[in-house]
Amino acid sequence: MTRRLIVEPRGLAPWWLKLLIPVASVFAALIVGALFLSLTGNDWFEVYGKMLDTAFGSGRGFAETLVSATPLILTGVAAAIAFRMLVWNIGGEGQLIFGAIVAAGVGIWLSGSTPPIIAITAVVIAGAVGGAFWASLSAVPKVYLGTNEIITTLMLNFIALNLMQYLVLGSFSPWRDPEATQFPQGRPIIDTGRIPEFFHRLDWGLFIAIAVAVLAWFVISKTRSGFEYRIVGDSFDTARYAGIKVPKKVLGTFLASGAAAGLAGSILVAGILGKMDPRSLDLGLGFIGIIVAALARLNPIAIIPVAILMGALNNAGPALQSIGVPSATVTILQGAILLFAVAGEFLIANRFRRPDRTPEDAEMKAEVSAA
Amino acid sequence: MSQGAQSQTPPAVELRDMDKSFYGVFANADVNFSLARGEVHALLGENGAGKSTLCSVIAGLYRPDSGEMLIDGEPTIFKSPKDALAAGVGMVYQHFRLVSNLTVAENLALGNPDVAMRLSQKELEVEAREIGEKYDFPVDPSARIWQLSVGQQQRVEILKLLYRNARILILDEPTAVLTPQEGEALFQTMRVMAEEGRSLIFISHKLHEVKEVSDRVTVLREGRVVGIADTADAEPRDLARMMVGKDLELPTRAANESIGDPMLVVRDLVVQGDRGLDAVNKLSITVNAGEVVGIAGVSGNGQRELAQGIVGLMKVTGGSVHLDGDDVTKMSVLAKIKRGIAYIPQSRLGMGLAPGLSTEDNLALKEYRVPPYSRGPLLSERAFNARGEELIEEFDIRGVRPGLPIRLLSGGNLQKALIAREIVQAHKVLIARSPTRGLDVGATATVRDQILAERDRGIAVLLISEDLDELLALSDRLLVMYEGEIVGDMPASEATAERLGLLMSGQSEEQIA
Repeated sequence: MTRRLIVEPRGLAPWWLKLLIPVASVFAALIVGALFLSLTGNDWFEVYGKMLDTAFGSGRGFAETLVSATPLILTGVAAAIAFRMLVWNIGGEGQLIFGAIVAAGVGIWLSGSTPPIIAITAVVIAGAVGGAFWASLSAVPKVYLGTNEIITTLMLNFIALNLMQYLVLGSFSPWRDPEATQFPQGRPIIDTGRIPEFFHRLDWGLFIAIAVAVLAWFVISKTRSGFEYRIVGDSFDTARYAGIKVPKKVLGTFLASGAAAGLAGSILVAGILGKMDPRSLDLGLGFIGIIVAALARLNPIAIIPVAILMGALNNAGPALQSIGVPSATVTILQGAILLFAVAGEFLIANRFRRPDRTPEDAEMKAEVSAA
Repeated sequence: MSQGAQSQTPPAVELRDMDKSFYGVFANADVNFSLARGEVHALLGENGAGKSTLCSVIAGLYRPDSGEMLIDGEPTIFKSPKDALAAGVGMVYQHFRLVSNLTVAENLALGNPDVAMRLSQKELEVEAREIGEKYDFPVDPSARIWQLSVGQQQRVEILKLLYRNARILILDEPTAVLTPQEGEALFQTMRVMAEEGRSLIFISHKLHEVKEVSDRVTVLREGRVVGIADTADAEPRDLARMMVGKDLELPTRAANESIGDPMLVVRDLVVQGDRGLDAVNKLSITVNAGEVVGIAGVSGNGQRELAQGIVGLMKVTGGSVHLDGDDVTKMSVLAKIKRGIAYIPQSRLGMGLAPGLSTEDNLALKEYRVPPYSRGPLLSERAFNARGEELIEEFDIRGVRPGLPIRLLSGGNLQKALIAREIVQAHKVLIARSPTRGLDVGATATVRDQILAERDRGIAVLLISEDLDELLALSDRLLVMYEGEIVGDMPASEATAERLGLLMSGQSEEQIA
C-alpha cells in the first residue's frame, strides 16, 4: 500500500491561515496569468506593470478603480449574505439589472423640479426595491414550494437582461431616449436624481456601498435579528428548535440580498451612467460579486478591499489593449483567483495528517496548543 | 449446539474470537458466532449491543481487529462489500442503497460485473421479473425506485442480492420500515430462501418476529455474545433477560418528597413520522410537577416524534397537549418555550446546539430575545460574555475559548452546556431524550444529579431513553413505548429487566403474566 497523507476536517483554523489563503490565491492566480501571458508571447512583467499603474498609479486611476469597485461591493455583499445562509442566490446580475430598470424608471418619471435629496433617495431606494422584487420571484417559490434557487435565479438573470435590452433597444418605451437618433440609448434620468461626484468621476455612491457593507456586518454581528440569522446559517434544525421561524428568515435574507444587488444597479444609474445603459450594465457585475464574496470568505467588511482589488482588475483591463494585450486577460485572472480561493477553502476546512500519527495525537496537540 | 447433520458441512459463516473497536471502544469483543447453511439466524440485542457491527464485519464493510472469519470453512477476510458480494455474502442495510432515478432492473444491473457491456433493458427486466416471481416477490422491473413504497424498495434490495446469487444474506432490522402485512410477506420469502439452502442473518428487536421466523438466535449485549439458543426451545422471558442484562439495580436515590399537580398532560396524541405513518398513535401520558416519568423503548418506536410533537417541532395531527392546565397543542415552538417547555434533544450538535457558534452564543440560544441579552433590537455582547462565563463556571463546562465553535468541545461538555441552558431558563416541564448517552461516568453522574434537582424543584420531567440504567436511576414512574403506544406503566420500584425487556420487544402485559 502506498503511503499517503490522510485528509481530515480541521477544528479551528488559525486566523493567519484565513488571511493567508485568499492572499495566496491572488498570487497563485497572478502566476498562472504570467504563465499564460508568456506562452502567448507577451512580457508579463510589462503587462502587470501597466495594470498596476493604470489601477493605482495616479489619483485619477485610483478614482476609476473605486468607481469600478462600488457596484462590486454591493453585489459582493448580496452574494455573501445569501451564501452565509446557504441560499445560493446567483442572480445578483439579474437583480442588479432589474434594480437599474426600476431606478431609471423612477428617475425618468419624477418631475425635474424634485429637490435633489428626495430625488436621489427615491431613485436609489427604487433600485433596492426592484432588486428585492426580482429576488422574490426566486425566494417565494423556494421558501414555500422548495424550488431550487440556483436554477431560478440564474434563469431570471437572462430575463432581466433581455427585458432591459428590449426596453431600450427593442421598443420605444419610456426608458429609451427619444432624442437619440443614431443608436438607441437609455433616456437620462432627471438631473436632480444624479448622485454628485466629488473626485473625477467618483461619486458618493461609493460611500453608500461601503455603508451597506458595514451595515451588513453590524446587523449580522450586533443585532438580535443577525444572531438569528447566524443560527439559521449554522443549522436549520437548531434554529427551529430555538423557536426561530426559519422560512421567514430565509425569505428576509434572500430579499435583502436582492436589495443589495439592486442597489448596485440604482447607484450606477444615478451615478456615473445617469441612465439605463444596457451595455454598461451588462458587464457581469453580479457574477464578479460572487468572486468577491468568496475571496472575502463571506465577511462583509473584507468585501470592501476585495472589491477594490477586483475593481482594479476591471479598470486595468481596457488599458491593456493599448499595449496589444486582450482585455480578457483580466477575466482569466479573475476566474483563476476564484478557482484558487475555492480550492483554498479546502485547506482552511481540512488538514493533512501523516498516517503514522493517530487522530488522537493530532487532537491532543490541538488541546495542548489550546491551553 | 452443532447438530449431527450439520457437522459434516462447515457452517456458512463462522466467527472466532472476533474483536472490533472504534477509537478504542469495543463494539464487538470475543464474538463467536456461527451461521449454518439453510438457517435463519436471529441476532437480538439492544441498541448499541454490536449487532450491526457484527454484520458489517461479515459483509466486508469493516475488517475485524483480531479473530478469524471462516466462510464455508475457509478463512476469509473481505476487503470490501464488493469483495464479500462476489463471494456470495450480501447485506440489506437499514438505509437502502438504491439509485432513486433508475429503474428496478437498472438498479439490479448496477455494479454487477456479470452484466454484459451492452445493456438490454428487456433482458434485464425479464430476469428481474423471473427472480421476483420465484420468491413470490412481485416488483415491476421498469418502475423507478422513487415510485416504490419503502416495502417495495426493500424487496429490490433483496432482489439485488438474489440477482447476484448471494448465499448468505444479512437483513439489518428489515421489519422496522414495514407494515405488519409486508413483514409477513418478508418472512414468507425468508423461509423460501432458507429452504433453498441460503443462510440468513436477521436482526430484530421484536421477540415475536424472532420466534416466528428464526431457527436459532444469538443474543448480544455490550458487544459480547451472551447467549445462543434454538429458537423453538427459547423462552421469551429468558431472551428478554439476556438482552437487557444483569439484574437491574434498583434506584438508591431519595424518593421525591411530594408529587404535585398534573403539569404536562398528553391526550390521545397522534404524530406522523417521516414516512407518513402514525409514529405516535393515540398516546396519553401525564407528568406531574416534581415527578420524573421515564419512557423506555427500543429506538424508532416513536420516541422522537413524541418529543418533537410535544415541543412543536413536528405537526400534531390528533389529540392534545396541556401544559399547567392550558391547551398548548397548536402553539409554535417559540410560544411553547415561553410557556415553559424545556427540551434536551437527543442530537446535541445540529439540534440542541448550533455547532459553528461559540459556547456563549449557544448558552443564550433560548433567552437572547429578552434582557439582559437584548436591548431593543441590539444584542449586549457584555451580557453574552458575562452570563456565559457564569454558566460555564457554574456547570463546569471545560475547553471553552473565546470564539471557539462549540462543536470542538467534548461530548460531556456539550451536554453540560445544553443542560445548563435548558434548566436555567424559566420552565415548568423538562423533556429530556437520552441525556447521558455517550457520556463518561463523571459526566453521567452530574447530569443525573441535575435532573433529580430539577424534579426536587417541582419541575415535571419526561425522560425518554433507551438506557434502562438511566431510566431506573431517575424515574419515579416508568412507561414502555412500543410502536407508538404506551404498552406498560409501572412504578420504577416494580420494574424488572425481564418485564421491561418483554414489553420493549412487543409482548403484552397479559402475555407476560
